[in-house]
Amino acid sequence: MFPWIDGFHWTPTHIIFLSLFGAALSAILATAAWGLWRTLGDFRKHLAAATCWRENFGELPAVEKRCRHELAGRLPSRQCDHAFDCRTCPNYDKFAALPANVPASRAGVSYSDNLLYHRGHTWVRGDWDGTFAIGLDEFAKHLVGSPESVKLPEVCDEVESEGIAWTMIKNGHKIRVRSPLAGTVISTGGPDSDFYLKILPHSQPNLRHLLKGPEVAGWLAAEVDRLQMQMSKGKATLADGGTMMPDLMDAEPGSDWDAILESTFIDR
Amino acid sequence: MVVRALSNGKEGTDRREAFIPITCMHCEHETPCVSVCPQQAVEFDKSTGIVMQMPQRCLGCRYCMTACPYHARYFNWWDPQWPPGMEKSLNPGVSVRMRGVVEKCNLCHSRYHDALQKAAAAGKKEIDVADYVPACVEACPTGAIQFGDLADPKDPATIAAKSPDAFRLLEAIGTEPKIHYKTTQAWIRALADRQSDRPTEAPHV
Amino acid sequence: MSETALVDRRWIERGAERASTMRFLLWLFPWVCLLLLGVYAAGLCFYYGLNQTNMDNRFAFGLWIFLDLTVIALGAGAFFTGFLVYILKQQDLKPVLNSAVVIGLTCYSGAVAVLMVDVGQPLRAWFTFWYPNTHSMLTEVTFCISCYLLVLVLEYIPVLVKNRQLRRVPSFLVFEHQAHKLVPVLAGVGAFLSFFHQGSLGGLYGVLRGRPFAYRQGFMIWPSTFFLFILSAIAVGPSFLMLVVATAEKITGQKLVDFRVYRKLGFISGVMLAIYVAAKAIDTYVWLNVTSPSMGFGPWDYYSYWPLSSTFLFTATVPLGLLPAILFIVPRTARHRGLLLLAAALTCCGVALNRFVMTVQTLALPTLPFDPFLKYTPSWQEVATFGAVVAYGVIVYSLSYRYLPMFEATKGE
Repeated sequence: MFPWIDGFHWTPTHIIFLSLFGAALSAILATAAWGLWRTLGDFRKHLAAATCWRENFGELPAVEKRCRHELAGRLPSRQCDHAFDCRTCPNYDKFAALPANVPASRAGVSYSDNLLYHRGHTWVRGDWDGTFAIGLDEFAKHLVGSPESVKLPEVCDEVESEGIAWTMIKNGHKIRVRSPLAGTVISTGGPDSDFYLKILPHSQPNLRHLLKGPEVAGWLAAEVDRLQMQMSKGKATLADGGTMMPDLMDAEPGSDWDAILESTFIDR
Repeated sequence: MVVRALSNGKEGTDRREAFIPITCMHCEHETPCVSVCPQQAVEFDKSTGIVMQMPQRCLGCRYCMTACPYHARYFNWWDPQWPPGMEKSLNPGVSVRMRGVVEKCNLCHSRYHDALQKAAAAGKKEIDVADYVPACVEACPTGAIQFGDLADPKDPATIAAKSPDAFRLLEAIGTEPKIHYKTTQAWIRALADRQSDRPTEAPHV
Repeated sequence: MSETALVDRRWIERGAERASTMRFLLWLFPWVCLLLLGVYAAGLCFYYGLNQTNMDNRFAFGLWIFLDLTVIALGAGAFFTGFLVYILKQQDLKPVLNSAVVIGLTCYSGAVAVLMVDVGQPLRAWFTFWYPNTHSMLTEVTFCISCYLLVLVLEYIPVLVKNRQLRRVPSFLVFEHQAHKLVPVLAGVGAFLSFFHQGSLGGLYGVLRGRPFAYRQGFMIWPSTFFLFILSAIAVGPSFLMLVVATAEKITGQKLVDFRVYRKLGFISGVMLAIYVAAKAIDTYVWLNVTSPSMGFGPWDYYSYWPLSSTFLFTATVPLGLLPAILFIVPRTARHRGLLLLAAALTCCGVALNRFVMTVQTLALPTLPFDPFLKYTPSWQEVATFGAVVAYGVIVYSLSYRYLPMFEATKGE
C-alpha cells in the first residue's frame, strides 16, 4: 500500500477510488458517531428520560392517548399529541378554560382533591418545606396489592421527569413507576409509609401536567373501564360501574398482567 | 504446463495426433489476469515481458483463473505432500506454496535471477541469453521448445516465431501472447484457428 | 403458561399474536439442523481445503459464486426500498422496510460468510483493502460490500432496539431516537454503494477478455453487464421482498401488509424488469453480432452444447423476464395475488438463471479450440454450506418477526 512497497503501483484511479470510498465510509461512520454524540448529549443534559418517554408515548395505541380535557368532559374527543406534557402544550389554556363535566362518583376508585395526579398513577403533594411527596394512587394500589419487593432510589439520587422513580416486583412482574417530577431524593418511604419518595426539585416546578379535581374522576373512570376490558379478554364481560376490588393481581392471576401493567404505568 | 493431445478426428491410417504444451502465454496486451487480481498479486514486468505471480499476496479467489483464456493457471486445492525424505531432494531455487493460492508458469524466474546474479558478478548489466534456460526447454528431449528474446530479431527463437508456419492461440481475442507454435501440418493450424466445426476430445485437465 | 413461555412472552411486543414457544422452537429446529450441517461442511473446507468441493482448475468458480451473486441480487430490495422510502418519499412502502433491511442483512452477511469459505486463504482477506487494484472489478465489489454490510447493520440496530425488553435500556432507546433522524443519510449512502457493487458484480464477467461468452463492450470502463446487473437487481429486489412477506403471512396466518403494498412492489418490479429485458435484448444482439465475432467466437460456439442451447437464452428472457413484467404491469393480472406472487417467483428464477449463465456457463464453455465442454456437479459440502445460508436467513427473519416490531400492522391494537 505504501509507495515504497515493491510490486504495488499507485495510479490516479487509486486516488479517485479511495477518495470515493473514504467519503462513503466517512459518511457512515459520521452518522454512527453523530448518533452516539447526540445520545451522550441527551444524557448529559438530563434529557434521556424525556426522550425515552416520548418514544414510548408515540407507540401507545390511540385509546391510551386520550387528552385529559376529553376525560374531564371538556372536549368530545381528542388524542394527546404532546406526550401528556401539558407544560409545553400550546392548547392547554384554551381547553382548560372550558367547563369540566364529570361527576366525582364515576371514578370507581377513591382519590383525593388535595393531591395532584400523574397519568402513570402516582400522586404528588407539595409540602411546606418546598419538597414534594410522591406516592402510588389507589388505582395502582388496588391493582398491585402488596408488592413482593420495592427498589427505591437512594437519598441524594436524581430522578428525572417521566424517568423511572422506583421499581416493584409482584408475582414475577417487574413494575417500573414513572416519576412525575424532576429533583433530588430527600427521603424514601415505601408501601407501608405515607409516601414512596420525597424529592426536592432544582427550581420551582411546573405542575401543569398533573391532573386535579374533577379531571381525576374522569380519568380514573376511563382507567377502570380499560382495566375491565383488559381483564375480561377471553372471559365473560364484567358489569360496568362498581368499585375496584383490592389485590387484583392476586385475585385474578390469569389475566394478561404484562399488558395491564404496561398500560397502567405507561411503560412499554 | 499442461501437454494436450490433439488429433485430426480421423481413424485408421488417416489419423494424425500431436501434442501441444499449454503454458502461461505471458500476454503482452491488456493481460487478462493482471487487471482482474484484486490484490495486485499479478504483475507484468515491462523489462522482461514476464507476467509474475506473487503467491504470498494471493488470496485464492481464483478470479484470474476465470479470466485466463488459456487455462494456464492452477489452484492449489491440496497442501503439497511429499513422501518422507523427498523434501530433501527438492530444488531449493523453487519454492512450493501451500494450498489455497494460485500458481502459474513464471518462466523459471529463479533461473532468471541466477542469470542476473551471474551477469552482475561479471560486471554486466544485461544477462547472457544462454545462461537463462527455463526447465521445460532444457528438459525437452526433442528440442521442441525454443526459448529466446522476442525483442531481438536475430534470436533463433524469434526468427522461428515470425515464420509463416508460426501461429498463436486465440489471436482474435487480442491478448498478444508471447508463446508461438510452429507447424507445417494444416490440420493443426486449422484446429488452432477455430476453423473446425467441432472441438476435438481432449483429456480433462 | 410455563416459566419459559412466560419469559419468552415478555420479549414479544404487547398485543402481538405469536405462536406458542413450543411451536416456534419446532419451526426453528430443522433450520438450526441445516445451519449446523452447513457449518460442519464449511469447517471441513476450512480444515481440509477446497479439495472438499468439486471445483477444479477449469471450474474455478462453482455453486458458491453463482448462489452468492443470486443472493446479493435478491437482497437488493434492501437498498432499493430504502431509496424509495427515504429519498423518493414513497411512504406507502414503509411497512415492508424493516423486512427489506433484515433480508438485506442476512443475504449480504451470508454471502460474505460463504465467500470467506470460498477463497483459498480467508485470513488474507484484508489484502484487498491494503493492496487494492483499482482496475479490478473484484476490488470494487469487496470495498462496496464491506461498507454496505456496515450500513445494513446500522439500519438494523434501530429495528433491533425496538424490542420490548431492549428498549427498556435508556441508552438504546435514546440512541435509536437520535439515529432515526439519520437513516435517510444511510439510505442514500447505501443506494450509492449498492448501485456500484451490484453493477461491479456484473462487471466481473463483462471485462473478461478471455471469455468471449461473457465479454461485453460498454460505457467507459464499465461493460454493459454492469448496467444490466443493476437493472436486474433492482427488478428482483422488490419481487423477493414480496415473496418473503407473503411467505411470512402464509406461515404465521396473519395479514401483515395491505395488498396495495404488494401491487406497488410488483409494479416497480415489472417496470424495471421490462426495461431490463429491452436492454438485455439490445445487448445480446450487439454481443452476438459484433463483439463476439470480433474475438473469433460465434453463436455456434455457445449454443451447440446440450443442455445449453438457445432455449436457455429464450427461457431467461421471455418466460422468466417478459412474462412476469407483463403480469406485474397489466392491471387485470396485477390485481390477483396469486398471479402477482407467481410473477415474483418467476422473476427470482430469471435472475438466478441469469447469474448461472454468467458464472457457470461461462466456465463450462471452452475457449481453446480443442477443449471440451465441461460439466460440474457441486459436492455435498458446497450444497450444505449454502443450505446454512438459507437456514441462517430463515432463522434471523423468524426471530426478527417474533421479537421485533417488523410490521406496523401487528403492533398494539
